Amino acid sequence: MKNKSLSFWLFLTPTLVALALVVFIPVLEGLFYSFTNWDGLTFTKVVGFQNYITLFQDKAFINAFWFTVGFVIVTVIMLNVIGLGLALLVTQKFKGNNFLRTVFFMPNMIGGLILGFIWQFIFTQGFQALGNAMHLSWLQNWLTDETTGFWGLVIVTVWQMSGYIMIIYIAYLQNIPNEIIEAAKIDGATAWQRFTKITFPMIAPAFTVCMFLTLSNGFKIYDQNLSLTNGGPYNSTQMLAMDIVNTAYNSGNFALSEAKAIIFFIIVAAISLLQVAYNRKREEDL
Amino acid sequence: MKKNFWKRLGKRVGVIALAAGAAFMLAACSNSSSSGKDVKITILQGKVENNKQFKQIAKEYEKSHPNVKIEVTSIGGGTQYDPVLKTRISSGNAPTIFSLAGPADVKQFKAHEADLSDTKAAKAAQPGTLDAVKNDQGKAVGLPFNVEGYGFVYNKKVFEKAGIDPESLTTVDKLTAAVKQLDAQKDQLGIKGVFALPGKEAWIMSDHLLNLYVAQDYNGNAQKLYKSKTMAFSKNADMKTMLDLQKDYSIKPVMQMDYSAQVNQYFSQGKTAMIQQGDWIYPTVEGIDKNFAKNDIGMIPIPVPGEEGKLPVGTSLYWAVNSQKSTAEQKAAKNFLDWLYTSKAGKKDVVDTLHFVPAYKGYDNYKMKDPLTSVVFKYSQSHETTGWAFPGYTGTSWDPDVAQPNLQKYLSGKQSWDKTVQNMTDGWAKQQKSANN
Repeated sequence: MKNKSLSFWLFLTPTLVALALVVFIPVLEGLFYSFTNWDGLTFTKVVGFQNYITLFQDKAFINAFWFTVGFVIVTVIMLNVIGLGLALLVTQKFKGNNFLRTVFFMPNMIGGLILGFIWQFIFTQGFQALGNAMHLSWLQNWLTDETTGFWGLVIVTVWQMSGYIMIIYIAYLQNIPNEIIEAAKIDGATAWQRFTKITFPMIAPAFTVCMFLTLSNGFKIYDQNLSLTNGGPYNSTQMLAMDIVNTAYNSGNFALSEAKAIIFFIIVAAISLLQVAYNRKREEDL
Repeated sequence: MKKNFWKRLGKRVGVIALAAGAAFMLAACSNSSSSGKDVKITILQGKVENNKQFKQIAKEYEKSHPNVKIEVTSIGGGTQYDPVLKTRISSGNAPTIFSLAGPADVKQFKAHEADLSDTKAAKAAQPGTLDAVKNDQGKAVGLPFNVEGYGFVYNKKVFEKAGIDPESLTTVDKLTAAVKQLDAQKDQLGIKGVFALPGKEAWIMSDHLLNLYVAQDYNGNAQKLYKSKTMAFSKNADMKTMLDLQKDYSIKPVMQMDYSAQVNQYFSQGKTAMIQQGDWIYPTVEGIDKNFAKNDIGMIPIPVPGEEGKLPVGTSLYWAVNSQKSTAEQKAAKNFLDWLYTSKAGKKDVVDTLHFVPAYKGYDNYKMKDPLTSVVFKYSQSHETTGWAFPGYTGTSWDPDVAQPNLQKYLSGKQSWDKTVQNMTDGWAKQQKSANN
């Protein structure tokens, strides 16, 4: 990249301008506004770190944070376990595995908002009717408290995204050379040994990618949250992204919302990068 | 080096040509309007359900006033309107006429609000309807769209079958007795519950129900409540009685029910005797069952001790005129609003096209089109009304952040009523302390 001639910069300019206009400038502007009392229209004074102090005392934000953390932990584990499980299943040689791939991937083609509404119907009408008919109390009153709201969100997310994670695992599973597996078989390795000692290490890069995707997606989720529970009841299932949006648009507290968004950005970026760095290192070790 | 020269020149020429083209297009865009003394007014308003009607009225007005052009944009749902208006203002594309929801908006957009107290419409406004939109100088900066009212919307057939006259349920005791009687005959009456209380829609409790027990402390004046450092909430025990009554005799589970379940699924299909709602549900009910809507529904006030027989009637949106537009444009905007509410043709549109219950004097000979607005019109004409104080808090963060979650917590049985009241009044005091207004 020594030859940074005029044409080099000319070709780069459109991208740089676009990126600056829609990413860099808004982020910097947002960072600035988070230090003011901006109301979405004007600001009258710079308040320093006041918004950052307020947000750490904001019960709703802290609640949303822990709710989101719990959600991320559960969904990351479930998505990767189920995604890998499905991938292993459909890479076996049997009739109809292509059909199953399509079926498992299908939920991912439906938008999150619509999915949320569909599942809301299933939870509140389907589960209710089933619970009434079979006298199972755990099937009744879904989405009316924090616990069922939490598991409702988990179910919808896992149902939607595991097909996508499956596809990534499939790609890596198919890249494992057959010779290695056969050699292991001849050496007398059991199916479990072949999986833990060969397959799993070979798909470590897929693991890094999927962890990253599920982690950042879990933190940033909004549409399912909106259409399934809308944060209710009593804001107990409000996740970070929704809390940020509501702080701005429902409560009209734009500056505080900006501060929350900055903190949110730092958290997501830090966790995702840490995770990628750690897994990359592990990949090399293997 | 030299080899590349022509190539590079070619590229440069290309870029320059592109830039020139873009500049030309920009110039062409900004140079489209301005011909003669025609005035164009733009309207951005928050009552999205009347979008079609407002556009129709604008066309009609353009016909009778050929030098005025009107462009109507409607943005729905209280929560999305403000950000759009803010964006329009900060991008230099501010509307001439916009809507305000209450005192919080009056404060927020004060740099853009023209004094409307000298308009014909403001002079014709019914007493009290301008209280919520007076600026710091005491001048009215908003004109009410209409007045609306809420209470218990009831199913006439269910009450007839049970032999109860809904109009006689004027006190809490009478209402409670009737509710118990209806509940006992649930199966014969073919209803699933006496009420349908949508626990998911916190605003039904935090805005409409709460208002009944807070408004009296502030004479029903939203502005007064908005400026109050504390919230008295002296009638909270009465609110608990009414909320409990609705909750205990509602179709269950309450916390799963939303607005569409309440209105579309249960009330419109005769599965409940009454619901706490307002005249705005009429189009929805009509959309499901025209005959039912026309013949079989009515509305009674929610009995509040000390205020029996009065319907809470108020305004949810006001027109404002942008003071930063040219004088000609402001004048045209004011003329349009005056025409709409005080001229003969305009009045006809207000009542017949928009189905608005007028917030203005001079509508004595008009008749409302549907049973619910007729009830509101009747109460408002005879001044048997109480005010809406809740616009004094709906625009503040107290409503979504404090009142709604706390009331939902109480409904879910996770929190006692005393704690709920405590949290709500404390939360109000905290907000008002930091809001310096």
